[in-house]
Amino acid sequence: MDLEFDGVRVERDGRVVLDIAALRLRGQRTTAILGPNGSGKTTLLRLIAGLERPRTGAIRVAGAPLQPRPPLAYVFQERVFLRQSVRENLELGLRLRRVDDAQRRVRITEATELLGVAHLLDRRADRLSGGEARRVSLARALCLRAPLVLLDEPLEGLDERTYSRLLDELPRLLAAFDATTLLVTHSRHEALRLAQDLVVLVDGRVLAAGDKRDVATNPRAEAVAEVLGYAVLAAGSRRVAVPPGALKPGRGSVEFSMVVEEVLDLVERREIVGRVGDARVRIGLPPDCEVPQRGSVVVVHADRVCDLV
Amino acid sequence: MGELFAADPAAGVITLRTLLVSGAATGLAVLLGVPAGYAIARNRFPGRTLLLGFINTGMGMPPVVVGLVVWLMLVRSGPLGALDLIYSRRAMVLAQFLIATPIVVGFTTASFQALPPRLPDLLAVLGAGRVRTLWLLARETKLGLLVAIMAAFGAVVSEVGASMIVGGNLERSTRVLTTAIVTETSRGQVERALALGMVLLALAFLVNLTLTVIQQRSRA
Repeated sequence: MDLEFDGVRVERDGRVVLDIAALRLRGQRTTAILGPNGSGKTTLLRLIAGLERPRTGAIRVAGAPLQPRPPLAYVFQERVFLRQSVRENLELGLRLRRVDDAQRRVRITEATELLGVAHLLDRRADRLSGGEARRVSLARALCLRAPLVLLDEPLEGLDERTYSRLLDELPRLLAAFDATTLLVTHSRHEALRLAQDLVVLVDGRVLAAGDKRDVATNPRAEAVAEVLGYAVLAAGSRRVAVPPGALKPGRGSVEFSMVVEEVLDLVERREIVGRVGDARVRIGLPPDCEVPQRGSVVVVHADRVCDLV
Repeated sequence: MGELFAADPAAGVITLRTLLVSGAATGLAVLLGVPAGYAIARNRFPGRTLLLGFINTGMGMPPVVVGLVVWLMLVRSGPLGALDLIYSRRAMVLAQFLIATPIVVGFTTASFQALPPRLPDLLAVLGAGRVRTLWLLARETKLGLLVAIMAAFGAVVSEVGASMIVGGNLERSTRVLTTAIVTETSRGQVERALALGMVLLALAFLVNLTLTVIQQRSRA
């Protein structure tokens, strides 16, 4: 089920929120929509879900117009439940889609067991903890068995333990969806972990789209590099993007001068935070490395950089 | 109270009439006010704040003023005089409906606004149509809606000005408990007026108790 955007433009209070000349998202894959806050990621999902309409342009799902709304599952960023039991919340979508009793039971059992929330079925959904609510939201989406799944920052606001556990489980879940999945996130790590394709959205415009390897390893524009977590630095007269974690202390192939502003003691390791030109960077120190003083200037290097156009 | 009903069968008829007139007005106000409250809570449109200001003002509208306006509309020489509704129970229902509706709309808007903002979106993507969505959301905000019904019924069952003006307090057709109390007091029948007052209080209490039981059950 491919998704195509053709001249889609959304305006709110006279401001352009989304402006997509042309974009094609491949079906049966997970595509991560990456971008900073306010870049139009959620609006993109809401358009596909038919919750908002573009001012101009058209969206096609599998070559057909979007209206009426295609059968889809949507995991909202916020917790959204009826003040009823988890079971009733899960049943609602299935009832509305006229799934019979026996099938409802099977699907709810499967989805809740897969997500480890079967024991919560009789609990009030609006009284669940953050992690439980996330799992139940995913279970609700899963049991719909929709061909199109929209996930809006499904791991936002979780504690570290629940976050890493769900991040480990999500690839298996996405495989279980066997659907065209769109994942909105502002985390490069989540996007690379969960998706096959990436779309980088900045100020409502698509700056890069395609296979995640192509997009993530070759950010040609500064804004794309920043969204992907690259440090954008000046190397002589060139502007280059340094991949996350690639800056290291000492001399190397491409060198930069860094003014140390802070030394962080993170128990297992130390990091220095400072400035290279205008850019703020953070570098891990090897255990045997001498710890620089605040205010000192040190040489750092990167073995691999991308030239920006 | 028992003695009152035994001595005067008309008291029972007046009580029943009060319940029917105020119940009908409240019911109609709920039918119109709940969807209207939902629409105002859910949508942003020019003049929304002004409209909410009018509704909030309407929640405290003096019934006698409403009665006067309805009388001017329904009186034979008025724009709706041809309908021949003046001094009828239907005119009283209309006046009480106008008193109850802002109360229902105001409370309903607040109740719907207190729901998670994404809930209507969730129901839409799950496949609920507009009517089903409204029904599910109304169930969700049952506590608030019951408060709206109680407040609206309380306001109309206890008002006297509008009923007196548009109903005319006709003994066999439009006299309700409040207008009967005024009549008995003016005749110097204070004991009878007090007894009717007790009936009115009991009626209001019974209706509100029923709604409160439903409300508290839904909280469990």
